[in-house]
Amino acid sequence: MLLVAEQALNGLQYGMMLFLMAAGLTLVFGVMGLINLAHGSLYMVGAFACAWIAAATGWFWLGLLASLIAAAAAGALIEILVIRRLYSRDHLDQVLATFALILVFSEGTRWLFGSFPLYLSLPPALTGAVTLPGGLQYPLFRLVIILVGGAVAVGLWLMITRTRLGIRIRAGEADREMIAALGVDISRLYTIVFALGAALAGLAGALVGSIQSVQVGMGEPVLILAFVTVVIGGIGSIKGALIGALLVGMTDTLGKALLPGVLARFMDASSANTIGASLASMLIYILMAVVLILRPQGLFGARA
Amino acid sequence: MRQVFDREALINLAIFAALVVTAVVAHVAGQGFTVTLATKAAIFALAGVGLNLALGYGGMISFGHAAFFGIGGYVAGILASHAASGAPLVASFAGTTSMLAIWPVAMIASGIAALLIGALSLRTSGVYFIMVTLAFAQMIFYFAISWPRYGGEDGLSFYVRNTFPGLNTFAPIQYFAICATLLALALILTAIITQSRYGLALQAVRQNSQRSTAAGIRPYAIRLTAFVLSGMITGLAGALYADLNRFVSPSMLSWHMSGEIMVFVILGGVGRLCGPVAGAAIFILLEHLLGGVSEHWQALLGLMLLVIVLFAPGGLIGMLSGRKRHA
Amino acid sequence: MPEPVLEIESLSKSFGALKATDDVSLTLRGGEIHALIGPNGAGKSTLIKQITGELRPDSGSIRFQGRAIDILDAAGRARLGLARSFQVSSVIPDFTVRQNVMLAVAGASGHVFRVLRPAQSDAKLTAPADHHIAKAGLHERAQARAAELSHGERRKLEIAMALALKPRAFLLDEPMAGMGAEGGGQVTAMLSALKAEAPILLVEHDMDAVFALADRISVLVYGRIIASGSVDEIRRDPEVRRSYLGDDA
Repeated sequence: MLLVAEQALNGLQYGMMLFLMAAGLTLVFGVMGLINLAHGSLYMVGAFACAWIAAATGWFWLGLLASLIAAAAAGALIEILVIRRLYSRDHLDQVLATFALILVFSEGTRWLFGSFPLYLSLPPALTGAVTLPGGLQYPLFRLVIILVGGAVAVGLWLMITRTRLGIRIRAGEADREMIAALGVDISRLYTIVFALGAALAGLAGALVGSIQSVQVGMGEPVLILAFVTVVIGGIGSIKGALIGALLVGMTDTLGKALLPGVLARFMDASSANTIGASLASMLIYILMAVVLILRPQGLFGARA
Repeated sequence: MRQVFDREALINLAIFAALVVTAVVAHVAGQGFTVTLATKAAIFALAGVGLNLALGYGGMISFGHAAFFGIGGYVAGILASHAASGAPLVASFAGTTSMLAIWPVAMIASGIAALLIGALSLRTSGVYFIMVTLAFAQMIFYFAISWPRYGGEDGLSFYVRNTFPGLNTFAPIQYFAICATLLALALILTAIITQSRYGLALQAVRQNSQRSTAAGIRPYAIRLTAFVLSGMITGLAGALYADLNRFVSPSMLSWHMSGEIMVFVILGGVGRLCGPVAGAAIFILLEHLLGGVSEHWQALLGLMLLVIVLFAPGGLIGMLSGRKRHA
Repeated sequence: MPEPVLEIESLSKSFGALKATDDVSLTLRGGEIHALIGPNGAGKSTLIKQITGELRPDSGSIRFQGRAIDILDAAGRARLGLARSFQVSSVIPDFTVRQNVMLAVAGASGHVFRVLRPAQSDAKLTAPADHHIAKAGLHERAQARAAELSHGERRKLEIAMALALKPRAFLLDEPMAGMGAEGGGQVTAMLSALKAEAPILLVEHDMDAVFALADRISVLVYGRIIASGSVDEIRRDPEVRRSYLGDDA
């Protein structure tokens, strides 16, 4: 039982990290109608910035701050140089241009930092485990990630529903000409939204880099999972991104932890392990297929 | 529909001829390595011709064609490795090393995968379609990694190139001849399809699906058919690629491969018959030339792609023929 | 009285709390122009989409040439000869005029999955297409790209495509929209020509045209048909005057 609870928390933590990625993707798509494959590169930029600054200064917190700033700056930069020329283009041009950006970011980072993974060391205040009710020992830092994800979700919700920026974002989703006519500086709004999404991706990269490793190419597997999340949740919906991320995180983590054990009741242990692992790696895509069959526009998506 | 012998058709012929001449001259000059590069270009072009049918003519932006490329490759690898080890694959059938048997199996397997992926993905459109095809390809990628029977993450080697009656497939120029012939057949097939009644419907559905429906056409069936054909052609390319390297690995299934196949198509010109041939040839050339300049050649490639997308959206053939294809 | 070609019986469709179509019954008889009018947001487009098969009604049924077509999709209904034109001029922009009409011929035939013969030299496509293009008065523009046509020419192309479907009924959604005074006259002439082919269910804002052309008029307000009858009956109907035409009508 403790194992299941621990895995559920892991799934929650994974889901929150996916949410940080998917929120930016879905905002950028909802407001600007742009598909951004380079979102995973911004995640990587955040992780490298955190690892570099934290190693250079010895302060993890400064590294975390640097991840936000570096990813937001990289996001704003590519928005101004490249992305804004793509809003009026079709999705094909967007895919190719942002694929090209991935190549540039990945090779550029490899050139700067080399191919070997970097490791972050956490400050003592964040290491160790806490004992949760029920006696479960759980790493503190993973709990922090869950809390950060929750805080970002609440913050985004407040921003979208309560602030002027949020009103403009919602207006931009509804009707571009309309808000331009209202005198909102639309290209600045787009840059801000893009940089905001980038900062969230960078934060996710830094947090995950702290528990795993920081290396070139770390962003793309996460990007694809974030796509699955957005497809399940529905494009343009922050709520969909949150629910989708939690579903994907839970399904993947629990599937990988429990499926081999469940299968072992029906077959011998070694084939249960093999089949269980293969099946578990496909579970979230099967989940996505089911959602596509039942609700092609995603759980919270408006009908296209 | 364009006339048969316009400027673009001449460009098409010239591009294909350039590829063949390169291989033949390199062979005569004893440059076996260049022949192999040309073979790789022909195989990538074939993969691109497959994608072009879905993407260029049907407007389906599939970011998951590596799935079909990889499945074709794995079919070749699995059949060959069983034939080598003698271990039965199904019942008493122990694989084969005959290309004539491998190709149809590769095409059927990738066609079935395309049918399943297409049937689900085509329920969506636009940006969803891109993400969903990418995700399903990734699912197959992870499956290949986690399934240890055929090498898992390490891939699967087979030491002898498969055979073709009457030819020595190990001779680079002869294997090139096989690949170039299949490429030519695929190009002819594409030309026939796109000029036909079905091709008319496919291109109509791309441009205005609602209007096509009102004209009595079912877009879903039209698109799915093109998607399956497209996957089969790309799957055949995968089988050839596996044979070229005598090795398959999950990297053939990776999202990066999907991106590259898409680059072949777009670099040459979307929806142009020989666009993928030009695109794949340029890609191989760039890889070779830029790779000599810097080990970080992919960054240079990325910058060049950016310039092409931002400033020459019609691709290479678009620039040469001076005609925009997308209104 | 001629047999009804299209019979719509108690059609209803809601979007959440909004009743977009509220128990609508309507018939289209052979040889007539039946105009459907109503203020913006009355549910005209929603009704048309249910007839073409783009939207599924919540309840009610539609019969076409005496046959229930409720289970058919939009393409299937088009193949039976239910031809529609769109509110926003809608053709295949990169195709020539001829290819556009060939497409409709192919669609109507139901044999779309043929790959062996080039469409361009398939007389089963080209001959009917050329015939309909000539009939619509576009033969001089047959090789022009649809995107390059003038608005009036594009309307004619739509009509040629509708003719290619061997229509048994036309659904015309605001054919006058965006036409100048002269173009409007052309379409009026065109409608008379089409009426000879098959009856027309006409959705139109231009009241002069409706009163000049229609044999019968139905008035749709808030998803309900509030009146249906001859031009004179509709002109006199007090409820129509109150809720739609206004006092100055």
